[in-house]
Amino acid sequence: MRRWAIFATLLCATLVRADAVPIGYVKNVTGNASVVTAGLSQKAEVGSPVHVGSVLRTGPGASLGVTFKDETVMSFGPNTELTVDQYLYEPSQGKLRMNSKLAKGSMNYVSGVIAKLQPDAVSVATPTGVIGVRGTQFLLKVEE
Amino acid sequence: MRKTVSVLLFLAGITLLAGCGSKSYVVLLENPDGSTGAVVVKGAKGEQVIDQARQGAAVDGSAKPAAVAEADIQRDFSSAMAARPLLPERFLLYFESGGAQLTAESNALLPKVIENAAKRPAVDVSIIGHTDTQGRADQNEALALKRAQAIAELIKKKGLKVHALSVESHGERNLLIKTADETSEPRNRRVEISLR
Repeated sequence: MRRWAIFATLLCATLVRADAVPIGYVKNVTGNASVVTAGLSQKAEVGSPVHVGSVLRTGPGASLGVTFKDETVMSFGPNTELTVDQYLYEPSQGKLRMNSKLAKGSMNYVSGVIAKLQPDAVSVATPTGVIGVRGTQFLLKVEE
Repeated sequence: MRKTVSVLLFLAGITLLAGCGSKSYVVLLENPDGSTGAVVVKGAKGEQVIDQARQGAAVDGSAKPAAVAEADIQRDFSSAMAARPLLPERFLLYFESGGAQLTAESNALLPKVIENAAKRPAVDVSIIGHTDTQGRADQNEALALKRAQAIAELIKKKGLKVHALSVESHGERNLLIKTADETSEPRNRRVEISLR
């Protein structure tokens, strides 16, 4: 009986995860790019959803553009890997946070409403340092 | 003599930055609206603030910000910059007091909203209702939702096609113009439409 309860709980957790509201969508792709969510890798296409925890990857010669719910706009050059670690966008509750990680590659970042309302809550980590985003557009390159 | 030294330092700076062209670095750009913000770089080797457009610094925080050559920006970022999606667009619609009736001016904006949404790939749209602080908070929560839903119905009827749509209420919790409680403020009685 207890085992069933655990199973049901796990099942619900999985369903919630799959049904969770996307935090952004792919707006353009050239070449080979993918969105990995909850361990499942899918070819990136215009309209592909991005969730908290999603990993965005581009291959050689590829590029990818994503727009988030708070109007943050990110685009990536070839051989890039970015993970969206945390994303909270509930302005009326004061819950605002956006932390991502660029493991390698190149990106163009235009910050959105979260950075405007709570500038210290937005960052991009890299293997050698962290970028604090104070409401702005910037370029970031990470060489492995 | 002093001039020679500063020229040499300047050249050394360019060389250093050219050297960091092959490593990890960040470059501040102008914002799309023409203003310039800032980024703070925190690495194992120090902390730097970049607040001048077209200046950059190594991500490890080891060196002060310095100008980045356009040729380096093009070499490292032309592909990422070319892939930048259309920037999001926001519309504010205003209401007559107490109900879900749009002002005449706001009503006239709706065709533009639909037209611009249609130009965007996989457009996702948020419709967020707000009230002023007149009346009870829970009633305002419901009123703001009613406003947002009314707008959603109206523009769908007028032909809005979306990839994703969210309809939300912020009630009286997210004022555009800060006021005391129980204040009638037309600019707070609004629905925000975000096209992305």
